[in-house]
Amino acid sequence: MSEEVAATNADVPASEDVQAEEHRIPQPDKITNKDLMKSWFGWWWANEVPHTFDRMLAPAFCFGLIPTLKKLYKDKTELAKAFQRHLLFFNTQATWGGGTLTGVTISLEEARAKALANGEEPISEDMINNTKVGLMGPLAGIGDSIDSGTVQYIFIAIFLPFAQKGNFMGALLPFLCFAIATFTYGYYFTKMGYSLGRAAAKEIMTGGRMAGIIDGLGVLGLYMMGILAGQYIKIQSYLKFTISKKTFDVQDILNTILPGILPLFAVLMLYWYFQKQGLKITRGLVYLTIALVVLSIFYVI
Amino acid sequence: MHVTLSIWQALLIALWVALVESRILGFSTLTMRFSPLMTGMMVGFIMGDIKQAMIVTAAIQLVYMGFVAPGGALPAEPCIATAIAVPVALLGHMSPQGAIAIAVPVGLLGSYLYQFRFFLNTFALKPMDKYAKEGNARGLGFAIMGIPTLISFALFIPLMFIALYFGAPVISGLVANIEHGTLIHVLNSVGGGLAALGIAVIMQVIGKKQLLPFFFLAYFMSVAFAKLDISMTIYAIFGAIFAILYVTFTSKKSTN
Repeated sequence: MSEEVAATNADVPASEDVQAEEHRIPQPDKITNKDLMKSWFGWWWANEVPHTFDRMLAPAFCFGLIPTLKKLYKDKTELAKAFQRHLLFFNTQATWGGGTLTGVTISLEEARAKALANGEEPISEDMINNTKVGLMGPLAGIGDSIDSGTVQYIFIAIFLPFAQKGNFMGALLPFLCFAIATFTYGYYFTKMGYSLGRAAAKEIMTGGRMAGIIDGLGVLGLYMMGILAGQYIKIQSYLKFTISKKTFDVQDILNTILPGILPLFAVLMLYWYFQKQGLKITRGLVYLTIALVVLSIFYVI
Repeated sequence: MHVTLSIWQALLIALWVALVESRILGFSTLTMRFSPLMTGMMVGFIMGDIKQAMIVTAAIQLVYMGFVAPGGALPAEPCIATAIAVPVALLGHMSPQGAIAIAVPVGLLGSYLYQFRFFLNTFALKPMDKYAKEGNARGLGFAIMGIPTLISFALFIPLMFIALYFGAPVISGLVANIEHGTLIHVLNSVGGGLAALGIAVIMQVIGKKQLLPFFFLAYFMSVAFAKLDISMTIYAIFGAIFAILYVTFTSKKSTN
């Protein structure tokens, strides 16, 4: 400490330069394909490991960005701010969402670091966060249905006959195919996100074409969520009651009014809860579980 | 062939489950978790009867065919189900169908274990905020990867070991008792309904209320066409067409 004080005191004529340096951060290093691979691999590797209820996959996303952010922000305060903003709530699918957004985020962070180094108006932290949050939902909807819903089961279906005959290749081959395919196109998405993000950074700020892309992805994401809701939520009523020797089956009555009304009701109640109370996922989970347990103990569902 | 389950074999299977459920092997563990195949193969290697293990696992796979986790919530844990059901089936010379009867309830219980992992992570990962604030990359990396891995291993290895070494003989008897009871009905109902959470989360995250009609369109398409057994790829193509049409028409309106 005392040495530093002595050093600044000795450099009195240079104090103006020191002040200017305080506003500017050192020039960032150039981002190479190797850095993109490091960040993609970091996200791919961490992906679900640090999953929490309150921030979901944000820690994994931040983990992937660590080596790149270190190259971009040689200033300790800016680096700490960058770490902190990427630990905020984030949830998406690994390749379509995470790959693309790793690339887009790196390009935005690079633009911000360069602007800070050159003393220009930088892209704001909010802008980086809004881009991530705006794209993560739609891309997750697409990625969940394509990667885990389609690609995975295509490979399993192809090699299942091996397993049925007792051959271990029936397990190993679908795993290897899935792992190699998703890793490869996930890296491709990262590179695409990086080059697209750099060109699109301005457009996102002013609206324009990027708003159309986000809208289109929103349509596709909500559409796929509707399909998944119809196929994967299994809630039906087992309630039966007898009035003057006539038995009424509640599910039959519901089917004549509107088939699939109960799963839809569950989703809409949760959605309505999130709209009113904000995205409180843990509470949503607890309330839903309690409701399902209570109703099913009495065989209402 | 006479198969046994020694302490070491039970430990190795428990270690495999911890590797998969901690997700420490990266995104590729998705298919190890969603599909029973890799776990069945490892159990076969460890217990020395690959052929029978694969035959039983293939039957379990059919039950979990098409499982996805919208928004991250999987209604059962096929990996845990298989790690218990295949050893039990091999020890008891059971039919593949008998193994399914064990796998399904164990898988439902396992999904709570996986949720419990998120719950523990939520509290244990707090040090990452401290390291982020300090700009300490090394500490941040450890908090994000090291802590949750230790938690998963401490959670899954003892539980799986106890369940396998002491529980495997008891489990087959227990499952026969609860197969038609209220407990299994409740587990099935909760497992079937939990998928609603992930979907609602993504709807909220997409956050564009004016696009909600597309959710309803898709929901009633999938309900109405359920009997046609349309594949996910075809639905994705429909969705892409709707998305393109929507963007085309709304952007024209704004330029006029």
